[in-house]
Amino acid sequence: MAAAMAAGLRLSGPRLCWKAAEALLRPGASCVVVPVRSRRKTPRVPEWARELSAEERERRLKCSEPIFPDERIERSFFLACTAEIMDPYVPPEGDARLSSLSKDGVKQQMQKLRQTAASQLALRKIKDHDPDFSIKTFPEKAQEIFIEAHNSLANFNKQKLHSLVTERCYPELVRGNRFRTIRWRFLGSLQPPRVVQLRCDSVLNRGNLYGQVTVRLHSRQILAIYDRFGRLMCGGEEVPRDVLEYVVFERYLVNPFGTWRMHGKIVPEWAPPREPIVKTVMIPAPAPDPSQEHENVK
Amino acid sequence: SGAAWARGLLSWARPERWLASGSLFPLSCIHTSTSLQKIGKWEKKNRIVYPPQLPGEPRRPAEIYHCRREIKYSKDKMWYLAKLIKGMSIDQALAQLEFSDKKGAKVIKEVLLEAQEMAVRKHNVEFKSNLHIAESQTGRGRYVKRLRCHGKGMFGMMKISRCHYFVKLVEGPPPPPEPPKTGFEQAKEYVQQLRNRTLVHTL
Repeated sequence: MAAAMAAGLRLSGPRLCWKAAEALLRPGASCVVVPVRSRRKTPRVPEWARELSAEERERRLKCSEPIFPDERIERSFFLACTAEIMDPYVPPEGDARLSSLSKDGVKQQMQKLRQTAASQLALRKIKDHDPDFSIKTFPEKAQEIFIEAHNSLANFNKQKLHSLVTERCYPELVRGNRFRTIRWRFLGSLQPPRVVQLRCDSVLNRGNLYGQVTVRLHSRQILAIYDRFGRLMCGGEEVPRDVLEYVVFERYLVNPFGTWRMHGKIVPEWAPPREPIVKTVMIPAPAPDPSQEHENVK
Repeated sequence: SGAAWARGLLSWARPERWLASGSLFPLSCIHTSTSLQKIGKWEKKNRIVYPPQLPGEPRRPAEIYHCRREIKYSKDKMWYLAKLIKGMSIDQALAQLEFSDKKGAKVIKEVLLEAQEMAVRKHNVEFKSNLHIAESQTGRGRYVKRLRCHGKGMFGMMKISRCHYFVKLVEGPPPPPEPPKTGFEQAKEYVQQLRNRTLVHTL
């Protein structure tokens, strides 16, 4: 590719100095190419320089060349969040369905925080970077962030929403809602929120740490979504619903100004199906095969 | 897989790939947006959001605005088709346009199908046949003057005309057509006018 490029340069375009062409041919070159307009095809080598070896010649030419600072086209961007949930938490089946009086219910209540090694390690790493972090106080803060985020989604306060929710979660919340009115209210939590899993991992480089904490929230909420014309699409204003959620919060630990933000939700497979929307939707039938039609006719 | 995603993201940001084409500083390729083109008034009508309706109010019918700009057709010839389908239900309009011989019929049919698709997907319309055409208008597009050569070295200036087509679909059955005015009604109005006369500046 470099050879073809050099050939192309020689054939057409402004005449480039052979030293500039050589500089381009060298791999990893990033200096600026300045075209030199001259009819001379081969540069003039003085008599005293003809005995010198090729490396000597190059060295002297390089010294005599004007030095232009390398202007890199840099557009740096900043990864403030990861793209997915690391090692997603698998909630136990029947969570929040069993009453606390039965044996299984008591066992579940006793599992305060999974004593897995990964969670403990992650906790230690998070405490290194954020000494104020504690498993006892974090769930309340997480719930506050959750409520604030949903309120600013209902009011379409984009700036606040960006500060409360990561870039990965933002399109999931906002997509399709530009011309819709959302009314959301948090009535209260049925069980105190608690931390269920901690994970800490580095992305791209070693030491680029992101911490993710999964919090279990069992609460009562009201949600009503209206379309562009003010007609109810789904939910209801007067109908409170009990909601069990596993919300993942993330923080860029290495950044001293990082904050805990909502990163995503985990929906277990055994979750009850969502209520259908107030609308009839047509599902087109599969196109009939010409061979099948023939059989029916017969 | 988070690392793989980030690596894939950064793959386009390598500067040596940009310089490889041999051009200097291709900074113009970083920002691309269509915000410099002017968005017409008809397209902006799709952006109004109504406040939520109270439970007692009658259901507000959905309104969908759609248009096509710079159609290569005359606006006067297009007007006949626009007048034809005004007030019809969408199925009837599509049927009439399919069997019309005019060139503009094909274009209007495409516009109506696009608008129907938009209505179902984005504007929360439940039944795609439950739409009728409330307004259908044509407008003048940009005309271009060109030379038209005649024989014997004579020429004339011709104008290449383009038009816009605007349509507004409203949810619900089409409104019943107004009955034509009967002679009896006209007579009643005349008599009423005569009865409304008063004598001025008298006792």
